[in-house]
Amino acid sequence: MTNILLVCAVVLPLLGGAMLPLAGKDRRVLRLTVLAVLILEAGVVTALLVRPDTELFLFAMTDTLTVSLRMDGVSRLFLAVAAYGFLITGVYAFAYLSHDGRESSFFSFYLLSLGALVGMDLAGNLITMYLFFELVTLLSMPLVLHDRTEDSIRAALKYLFYSVAGAFLALCAIFFLGKYCVTLDFRPGGTLDGAKAAGHETLLRAVIFLGVLGFGAKAGLYPLHGWLPSAHPVAPAPASAVLSGIIAKAGVLAVLRLIYFCVGPDFLAGTWVQYAWLGLALLTVFMGSMMAYREKVFKKRLAYSSVSQISYVLMGLFLLTPTGLTGGLLHVIFHACIKILLVMTVGSWIHNLGFHRVDELRAVGRAMPKTLWAFTLGALALVGIPPASGFVSKWYLAEGALGSGLPVYSWLAPVILLISALLTAGYLLPITVDGFFPGREARNVPARNGEGGPMMWGPPAVLAALAIGLGVFSAGLVRALSSLAATLF
Amino acid sequence: MLILLLIFLPMGLAPVGWLLGRRFKPRRDRFVIAVGFAELLLAVAAALRGGEAALPDVCVLGLTFVLDGFRRVYAVVFAFMWAMTLLFSPDYFAHHRRRNRYYFFQLLTLGATMGVFLAGDLYTAFVFFEIMSFTSFAWVIQEETDGAIRAAKTYLAVAVIGGLVALMGLFLLWHNLGTLTVSELYPAALAAGKRPALYTAGACVLFGFGAKAGMFPAHIWLPKAHPVAPAPASALLSGALTKTGVWGILAISCNLFRGDPAWGAVILTLGSVTMLLGAVLALFSTDLKRTLACSSMSQIGFILTGVGMMGLLGNENALAARGTLLHMVNHSVFKLVLFLCAGTVYRNLHRLDLNDIRGFGRGKPLLLVSFLLGSLGIGGVPLLNGYVSKTLLHEAIVEGAEHCGWPLTLAEWVFLVSGGLTVAYMSKLFVAVFVEKHPDRQAEFDAQKQYLSRPAALALGLSAAVIPALGLTATVSMDKIADLAVDFLHAGPLTHKVRYLSLENLKGAAISIAIGAAVYLLAVRRRMRKNGDYVNCWPKKLDLEELVYRPLLLKLLPAVFGWVSALFGENRITAPLCRGVLAAGRWIGRLFGENRLFEPAARSFFAVMRTLSHAASDSLDALVLVLRRTLLRQSPEPETDKVRRSAAYRMGTELDRLGLGRAPAGEGDRGRWVYRVVRTWRETGRLLRTTLSFGLLMLILGLAGGLIWLLWRL
Repeated sequence: MTNILLVCAVVLPLLGGAMLPLAGKDRRVLRLTVLAVLILEAGVVTALLVRPDTELFLFAMTDTLTVSLRMDGVSRLFLAVAAYGFLITGVYAFAYLSHDGRESSFFSFYLLSLGALVGMDLAGNLITMYLFFELVTLLSMPLVLHDRTEDSIRAALKYLFYSVAGAFLALCAIFFLGKYCVTLDFRPGGTLDGAKAAGHETLLRAVIFLGVLGFGAKAGLYPLHGWLPSAHPVAPAPASAVLSGIIAKAGVLAVLRLIYFCVGPDFLAGTWVQYAWLGLALLTVFMGSMMAYREKVFKKRLAYSSVSQISYVLMGLFLLTPTGLTGGLLHVIFHACIKILLVMTVGSWIHNLGFHRVDELRAVGRAMPKTLWAFTLGALALVGIPPASGFVSKWYLAEGALGSGLPVYSWLAPVILLISALLTAGYLLPITVDGFFPGREARNVPARNGEGGPMMWGPPAVLAALAIGLGVFSAGLVRALSSLAATLF
Repeated sequence: MLILLLIFLPMGLAPVGWLLGRRFKPRRDRFVIAVGFAELLLAVAAALRGGEAALPDVCVLGLTFVLDGFRRVYAVVFAFMWAMTLLFSPDYFAHHRRRNRYYFFQLLTLGATMGVFLAGDLYTAFVFFEIMSFTSFAWVIQEETDGAIRAAKTYLAVAVIGGLVALMGLFLLWHNLGTLTVSELYPAALAAGKRPALYTAGACVLFGFGAKAGMFPAHIWLPKAHPVAPAPASALLSGALTKTGVWGILAISCNLFRGDPAWGAVILTLGSVTMLLGAVLALFSTDLKRTLACSSMSQIGFILTGVGMMGLLGNENALAARGTLLHMVNHSVFKLVLFLCAGTVYRNLHRLDLNDIRGFGRGKPLLLVSFLLGSLGIGGVPLLNGYVSKTLLHEAIVEGAEHCGWPLTLAEWVFLVSGGLTVAYMSKLFVAVFVEKHPDRQAEFDAQKQYLSRPAALALGLSAAVIPALGLTATVSMDKIADLAVDFLHAGPLTHKVRYLSLENLKGAAISIAIGAAVYLLAVRRRMRKNGDYVNCWPKKLDLEELVYRPLLLKLLPAVFGWVSALFGENRITAPLCRGVLAAGRWIGRLFGENRLFEPAARSFFAVMRTLSHAASDSLDALVLVLRRTLLRQSPEPETDKVRRSAAYRMGTELDRLGLGRAPAGEGDRGRWVYRVVRTWRETGRLLRTTLSFGLLMLILGLAGGLIWLLWRL
């Protein structure tokens, strides 16, 4: 039964997406089909979440290249984020794309991306994961060029090239790991063959360093972060919501699998590789926040914000301590929730008001109070104001850094986290302040159709409640994730 | 359970009030007042019982609450303040808009403020501290005037920065000590022993909480934010919210750094600067609420002085501890009363400038008595509660001066001068509002007898009554409060009972009052007035926020770091690098891929060969060409006249005249056929003559002729 569910989880959205064009032009049929697939998928994933760990061998391309699925704690985490995230964003997309002529193609690729993503979450070895990683890139690219404008095509190509270039870097690492690992299957703690690797440590570390940099392209890690700020402003809001909230996390998952399930943290802890990674991650955290602070186009601002926030997660992974990893994994969930929410609210402003720049949002709270409230709660959570969720992950990340015992980084990391939080407050809260308190003379914003109906403000409201609630009642989650983190060392 | 209710009841009822207020405004007003009084009842009940509470697992580390002596006192004080301000609010806001959100945040902040004070550990305190910062932000910006928006943004910035710095302190403490429970900090610090790390952590926490308390140098928001908020909110900002900052400072000073002289000296210094600076700013201000706000800053300085003395005095710090505590309570009450008075003035006149509100208080006994009690109390006049706490603080400093010498003597004089300035600026306010007359509107002011509704008057009266009630029963009530609360401060035992009205103690008050009278008469009356109007002589440019903080944080740092991150963020380093590498690679690739090296060489070889063979094959033609261009050049011949003169022409003309060979119209001369024949003949001859062959023929003929001539001659 579990095996059937595993295959179902991957095939269902892929099949649904591929068959969607058959649903015809009728908008209602189309939406019902998409909704049915998304709900079914969420159901399958929920069923999988409560089942025990398992592995499933599918087929072998050659003796060494096998395709297999695997269900463990890490895949549960990412699976849940992907399936539920796509479901709620899908509901929002129905409202957002209601005047769009290309709904069918959008939802086709939307479901296909979900399928590829689920495949990546469930991948049982490096080869399978690499296959699905490339698939995610190819299938999510059409989401970026949905508008078919010159800008969007250029951005989509940029996304494609960055991801493919990153994947090739990673492929290079996979070749080496294939030689020096016992197996390419995922095993907690890594499968590096000590005898074979002896004498080639420096080479191996360099290759792994590059591999993580390559997978990091999808997560927006410097220096391959450039596609995020280009792709976001041109993609439709639901697409950029899943792109930065969920698809970018595919990069995180790949890095996590590579470090903790193939190489093993022991091989890397305390080496130059770790320092270099941490340096890059901290640089990205600071740089992303600062760029967001300077940026006036709010979708681009959120894109830079994602660059910064996902590097929080990567920093947690690179600390190579259980506490840091717990913080990183927590932030995967929280950031997904918050960023999807923020992009949705911003999308509502674009959709209902036609605004694109931050300075146009003055007095928006009068016209769209519910949306701005959701935005505000999300913003507070992202800054990390207690008791909202961002605070909890930041607490663990900072504790992980302080407890790691690394020279310089042990105190620099929390300081950068807090400076970045300050900048986050600096680029998000003024929108709230000017929106709700524009001053007495401020003119009202002309809202064409109010908040755009419950389909438009409902999903952000639910996510806002989650962003706060997950922080207040996070103890169970934290326990689960820290016991998961503890098994990887 | 009672403890949790104290915090979460108002927070939970805030949305109820908000929903109610969307439909029924008067009912909402009654509802929030009821909540305020219910909270007061709850606080009293909880204070009688005490106890502890915990919410494990909430917010990961869990929240813990303790209701010990100090917190019992403060729970009641806060609940009282909120009940009074809520009672006062409907009247104050009678003609205001957007009241609903004000009440919503009023109740939220009540719960959050309670949460900070009842917190059993710094983590819990921090959680509520942050909630409080954001909910009280809505108070500051409530009026949405330009000044309010600017002040609120400053408030928000200071709150966020302070919060994050404090959080860094908490990270460090948690990492180094493994606990954040207030009562466990001291033993944990002793066991850990890492002083430098602990001092760093302490400094961070001090900055974070000090910012909320209005401690120098993070005081910048206070004199701006308090005046622009609605008066009931100002009362709470000044009287209650600043105390949460003091709570944080107390929590680390009295636990983490208990009896640490170095720490005490730092706090004492910062406290003294805050105390004096606040008093001076208050003296210069000509705005009723701004004066009171600066006064708050100064009074917080007094409290911090006490905290510092506690550190310096080691085990003999009972007086300092009691003084600190009592001054906190007293200041809360004073600011409640004074801001409610200011609110009364604003409610009627919508003005706060001293020149505009002059004489408003004349003939209004309730307002006069309340304001007078507040002023005398805060000025430290004997028989009122302010005198008691200031005396205790003064005694503590005097005691310290015996041990530590001149620095504390200096501190004592700063203390006395600040006390004097307090008297001076309160006199300024009192005289302006209650003694002087408005040049134009005095009659109108005198006629305003209905200047407060009954509930608001009740709130004002009740609040003011606390001041003499405490002051007159000092040895009972205030000593009791101090006894109750002093546990929290972990002070040493009290060695002797203080006789408040002894000559020694009266002397301190007398010095302060004398200084105050002198400053008022000499400086305020003479220097700070022009033609009877109060003028603010404080140089506008001398503003720490405008001068340093804003340029630094909004211009300089973003510019520098923005440039640096743009370098990375827009890939200004890697992109040129990549582009360079790509260009180089492409060039090399083409060099070989498109035979860039081989092809040009081959091409030039062929070009040379082609040129050479061309030259070889065309050399004869070239010679001919050269000859044609030089020797045998065609020369133009002015032929027309010759033609016209020829016989044939003339003959043709005659023939034409006879009608023969008429040419088509327009052809002119060329039409004449004879002419054409002649012309063709001549042309042919000329062409013949000029050809190379003709030349050659002539050359050969010439040669032959020459030869024949030579043969004939020889």
